[in-house]
Amino acid sequence: MTTKAKLGADVALALIGVCFVAPLLWLLLASVDPQAGYQTKVPVAPSTENFRAVMTPELLFQPLANSFLLSAGTAVVNVLAAVLAAYPLSRYQSRFNKPFLYTVLFGTSLPVTAIMVPVYGLFVQLQFLDSMAATIFFMATTTLPMAIWMTKNFMDSVPRELEEAAWVDGASTLAALRSIVLPLMRQGLGVVFIFVFIQAWGNFFVPFILLLSSAKQPAAVSIFSFFGQHGAIAYGQLAAFSILYSVPVLVLYALVSRGMGNSFALSGAMKG
Amino acid sequence: MRIRRFLRLLPVFPAVLLLLVFLLAPVAWSFYASFTDAALSGKAARDPQWVGADNYVRMFSDDDFPFSAWLTVVFVVASAVLGQNVLGLLIALLMTRSRKAVAAWVGTAVVAAWVLPEIVAAFAAYAYFNWDGTLNQVVGALGGEGPDWLYSFPVVAIVLANTWRGTAFSMLVYRAALADVPRDVAEAALMDGARGWQRLAFITLPLIRSSIATNLMLITLQTLAVFTLIWVMTAGGPANASTTLPVLAYQEAFKFGDIGYGTAVASVLILLGMVFGAVYVRLLREQKT
Amino acid sequence: MRRPVIKAPLKYAPVKFAAALVSVAAVFAAATSCSPTPEATVSKTLKIVYQKSDSFTALDMVMQDAKKEFEASNSGVTVDLQPIQANDDDYGTKLALAQRSADTAPDVFYEDTFKVRSDVDAGYLLKLDSYLEKWDDWKSFSDAAKEAGRADDGGIYAVPLGTDTRAIWYNKSVLQKAGIPVPWQPKTWDEILTAARAIKASDPQVIPFTMYAGKGTGEGTVMQSFYELLYGTDSSLYDGDQKKWVVGSQGFRDSLAFLKTLYDEKLAVSPAEALDANVWKKVFGEWFPQGKLGATVEGSYSPSFWQKGGAYEWAGYEQEMGVAMFPTQKGQDPGGVSMSGGWTLAVGAKSKNPELAFSFLTTALNKKNALAFDVNNSQIAVRTDVASDPGYLAANPFVKDVSELVKVTHYRPATADYPRISTAVQVATESVITGKQSPEEAAAEYDATVRKLVGEDKVLEK
Repeated sequence: MTTKAKLGADVALALIGVCFVAPLLWLLLASVDPQAGYQTKVPVAPSTENFRAVMTPELLFQPLANSFLLSAGTAVVNVLAAVLAAYPLSRYQSRFNKPFLYTVLFGTSLPVTAIMVPVYGLFVQLQFLDSMAATIFFMATTTLPMAIWMTKNFMDSVPRELEEAAWVDGASTLAALRSIVLPLMRQGLGVVFIFVFIQAWGNFFVPFILLLSSAKQPAAVSIFSFFGQHGAIAYGQLAAFSILYSVPVLVLYALVSRGMGNSFALSGAMKG
Repeated sequence: MRIRRFLRLLPVFPAVLLLLVFLLAPVAWSFYASFTDAALSGKAARDPQWVGADNYVRMFSDDDFPFSAWLTVVFVVASAVLGQNVLGLLIALLMTRSRKAVAAWVGTAVVAAWVLPEIVAAFAAYAYFNWDGTLNQVVGALGGEGPDWLYSFPVVAIVLANTWRGTAFSMLVYRAALADVPRDVAEAALMDGARGWQRLAFITLPLIRSSIATNLMLITLQTLAVFTLIWVMTAGGPANASTTLPVLAYQEAFKFGDIGYGTAVASVLILLGMVFGAVYVRLLREQKT
Repeated sequence: MRRPVIKAPLKYAPVKFAAALVSVAAVFAAATSCSPTPEATVSKTLKIVYQKSDSFTALDMVMQDAKKEFEASNSGVTVDLQPIQANDDDYGTKLALAQRSADTAPDVFYEDTFKVRSDVDAGYLLKLDSYLEKWDDWKSFSDAAKEAGRADDGGIYAVPLGTDTRAIWYNKSVLQKAGIPVPWQPKTWDEILTAARAIKASDPQVIPFTMYAGKGTGEGTVMQSFYELLYGTDSSLYDGDQKKWVVGSQGFRDSLAFLKTLYDEKLAVSPAEALDANVWKKVFGEWFPQGKLGATVEGSYSPSFWQKGGAYEWAGYEQEMGVAMFPTQKGQDPGGVSMSGGWTLAVGAKSKNPELAFSFLTTALNKKNALAFDVNNSQIAVRTDVASDPGYLAANPFVKDVSELVKVTHYRPATADYPRISTAVQVATESVITGKQSPEEAAAEYDATVRKLVGEDKVLEK
């Protein structure tokens, strides 16, 4: 390939990259500007005041801890349920497989806000309100369709022969699943985990409605404390909080993708 | 044999149970509620009545709803089918022929927008498209005067914002799909001259056809449900100019407390999802044969 | 040769698997059941729900104090404070959901006057008349304030914490530069236009007199702009006696025409700016402090933005700003118009301890706590004893002026239909300032919308 062609691609990519980073500029500048508005401007007197104001247990640390609990819990439940569900769908041919998968997939087009009223009623009936565990299970269910879809496709790319060899040696199905299939799907499971984690991390409405005590609210909800009465917004603090709130998922993503050799492989997930 | 089959399906049960209790039951209730005048406040809150298809009839005689449905289709086609999908493919193709370092850095930038929590991304987009925001500052530096995007071109703003936000997913899918394609085919695909484009259209794309269809299905369904991004940027305004169906459903259900009407709108949204889904399933099936 | 089909072994250990499922379910059940505390037979618990945010802590402080006071004088009673961190809309949503069932309904809660009638219809609020009769402090509440919690059946269902009014806020330097003497008090709509034109002539860069319009500023459009006009004509929005919505009134058309004049002559902001939901932030944060705006109509809580600790601190506001009553159309009685909103405390209809709940309400609204809330939140006092308290009067220099306006104020007819009617009004103002429709056309469309919303039998031609 000619160096000219390579340069062309580099320039085009770089341009695209700049476009993607541009909106984040405001976030970075406003967070170090004690007098931030929503305009992007270089701060007159940059300081860490916003960060310091925001880094209190009540405003940041407790909500972040709650976010971790909710997101990790959701991701774990998702991966477990999805792996279990994907196994028969992947290994046992049945005419119900495709319809089931597609029906389940249509669930992803549903905006969760639409079902919050009945879900709230359900939680009241079952006395699940203000329960982290119940909220985790509900949030897991909302991303379950996608998780099952992706897991099943990853599982499809693990050849059956390996399990069959294990069966011949006398292993039970469950043992073969655990010791042969899952390790080979490690990357795919990582993808599902991170995907669900990110969605749960940003979810506001569900924990807002289903969790009552402010000590249990995740950061997605407590961010709204910066939107004061009569609509006044503390921009600088909001920006600082947003950065701190986003860092964990960015780091997690970096870790997971590095663990997969920087080839965040969605190939297995997409074979239809 | 039957027992064997039952046992085989046993592992699906936890997922099915969760889906039945937490998803199917509420959706069924919502569908039922769309035939009542259930509300969060007022007399109907105490005593909801069955009103039959009144909410649905109202939807079609209303000014807002048909426009909102149309806008939703436009939003999905423009930001997902065209925006995220094409841009994601383009970036993936470019990455196969660029320097590794550049590809890595750009990849990170694109993914950052996707990984950000939705409220943060929404606010960054609001600040960007605002009249005094970054975009107009850039336009001003180039000598022009930017319009008030959020007022004059709200649909353009939300389409661009959603493209910005979701392209990463398509990019990752296509990067993986292209990785399976023979290297020289992918590289040659973007070469100058007519032969390059033809190779792209007739060789590369057909090879990754199933990835394209699956990707389209997933990003379409996800884009249909986009709410927070639009809500924070324009609140559906000005004058409902950017009110897609999720925004309309939320407004009706929670701003006006009209649960009956809100769930009716949501039901139509699910229907729309099924229509899109059916189209893609058709596409997928045609390839298998 | 066909590959032999190897069947998966039935050493599935189904029993082990089923046991695993059951144990997961048990863990789940255990984890989820540890949240709600069982009702102790000895101690009674009152659940209090209210709004709290980064900038709105006044009520939280009052509630914490009230909790201490109440628990001290009522042994065996626990006050469970459950603040909701959210904006107004989300707070309303969460409260409404909680009120749908007796298990989650609060005993005492923070309620917008705007929602009172609708929530009474829904059966969420307890009728308080019998309790209020026995409460001494009730006599200290001004008569106008008592209306805040009144529902269609004439009963009182909520007690106001404070209220607010709307007035013309003007920048003295800008007006003086245009030769308008301060303190300024226009007596008719024409006087406003004259002054605005003078400001424009003196300095074209300054926005002379703006008023909110369009759907962007939502309820602010009607409360801080349109109603000041409409209620200053001989018409109104709603006939309280007949319980019907007014349509086809000349006053409605005149009010729209006034807005059109303001915007057409560029005496107000541009239509694009008006439709931005955040335009009021520029009003408080930039234009007034920088002398770029002559005057606008805003709420009595405006000082809370400029005071120390407010969102747009402005040390000079006390000297720079002035307050004037919004005049009636032709100066007719009562000479001025204002609109009031405000929030209340109410008792849940499903409360298991209504007497106790009301008792807590009276503690939260005693003179000391009401004074603290009104001062910290820039509210207008609804208790006459608070209104004459020197601490209250010293809170900011405008307290007296804005409190006077309670005499000419109106409350919104906040029935269950109201939110949609309010939206219809906002739509009308938007059509007019953008030039999409003339005042007559917009008024006609409003009439048609109202007829469709409430039905023919609920409208009145005036």
